[in-house]
Amino acid sequence: MTTYALQTFELVKTYNTGISLFGKKTNAVNALSLNVPEGSNYGLLGRNSAGKTTTIRMAMGLARPTRGSIRVFGLDPARDPERVTVLQQVAYVPEDKVLVASFTVRRLLELNRAFYSSTWSDDMARKVCQRLELPLDLAFVRASLGNKTKTALVAAIAQRSRLLILDEPTTGLDPLVLDELLRLLVEDCTAEGRTVFLSTHQLPEIEKIADYIGIMDRGKLLLEGRLDDIRSSFRRLTVRGASLPGTGPQILSATCNTDATQYILQRDPDEFERLLVADGANVIESVPLSLSEIFLELCRTSEEVEDEQAIL
Amino acid sequence: MLSLHISPSSGVPVYLQIEQQIRQSLASGLLRPDEALPSIRRTAADLRINPNTVARAFSNLEREGIIRTVPGGGTFVGSLTASGSGLLKAEKLRRIRPLVAQLAIEAAQLRLGPDDIHKLLDSAIDDLARRSRTATRSSGEDK
Repeated sequence: MTTYALQTFELVKTYNTGISLFGKKTNAVNALSLNVPEGSNYGLLGRNSAGKTTTIRMAMGLARPTRGSIRVFGLDPARDPERVTVLQQVAYVPEDKVLVASFTVRRLLELNRAFYSSTWSDDMARKVCQRLELPLDLAFVRASLGNKTKTALVAAIAQRSRLLILDEPTTGLDPLVLDELLRLLVEDCTAEGRTVFLSTHQLPEIEKIADYIGIMDRGKLLLEGRLDDIRSSFRRLTVRGASLPGTGPQILSATCNTDATQYILQRDPDEFERLLVADGANVIESVPLSLSEIFLELCRTSEEVEDEQAIL
Repeated sequence: MLSLHISPSSGVPVYLQIEQQIRQSLASGLLRPDEALPSIRRTAADLRINPNTVARAFSNLEREGIIRTVPGGGTFVGSLTASGSGLLKAEKLRRIRPLVAQLAIEAAQLRLGPDDIHKLLDSAIDDLARRSRTATRSSGEDK
């Protein structure tokens, strides 16, 4: 049986966005049901203001759900005393890496070490600092964005928690440091059975280390699953033939040009291709999509649907 | 020695890329029978990919007898005769058919005839056999 590190059920978070009492209400998160298996490396992907950070804040008990629920290892992070147990098992790198200006890296790590004394590893803290090239005596008042991100990462990884939640963990990191971070996450987190849940819009990096993916847009989940399964369900198919189908469960989008039709398929592409060929169609090209292409196609299609609904 | 290169944006699942490259290294003699492979954890860290993905590729290859795992002792390349022998002929053909179909399409588009393709194929097979022989010989010299 799969156990889940993080699950949400029809989760909704509504914010007032207008300035007056009669201001508009926006669903930052809208009926979101996520399933993050324990031991997975889960990438939550979405554009800006897709609702990724709001979801993560609810997982950390920093925001309360308007409706629905969220569970971390089966516990409610917004309720005491369960919240304490959640926080003991979760390390968190927030999106805004705000750190006390007068502190040094060393001081912050010492504080975290005292706070998470039962799981903290000095060896790991040292190793991560070295790998990410972070000087211990650096004061945050002089620290660059990249060094602030690194500090938050060192503190989180050295905590040796069951679940690591990283909100945009690559902000300000140069390519070499980013590469080291990916190595650390693979070698010292996922390989040890820890769960890594990270949000990002940097697809190429994440596509390598993640085994599960969730794609969010405007508060909603567009797609979730094992990355390998997702890769093999999507395909771009260019076909020539008479009376080709325009819609269907396998078709995400269909574009008709003068001499050929291009399909973006989201399910059972082999079967769809076989059916078309059996009907006498001529398949000109059949290629798999990269994660970036899948992401773009899904976001585009979901926007078109919403725009149509707005017009109606 | 095994050297793997992963292209995450190619659209081909990463575990399949690993399987294909290990098969290819074995066929070309780059990997020798009974040679030790790096651990799952090491492979994952080196390639910056998920360990579960490496594990999936390794377990598929193990089922086919291409590699074998000694509990507590690591992972090794299987003996040459064993590789692929776990598969039925029909399954082997099923696997190679899409590649051949792709070859036929490209050839037709480039207006290359069957003779040209047969010649290319023969020379590719010869090439592989020669490289494999060289690798076996140099492995003998090592000892």
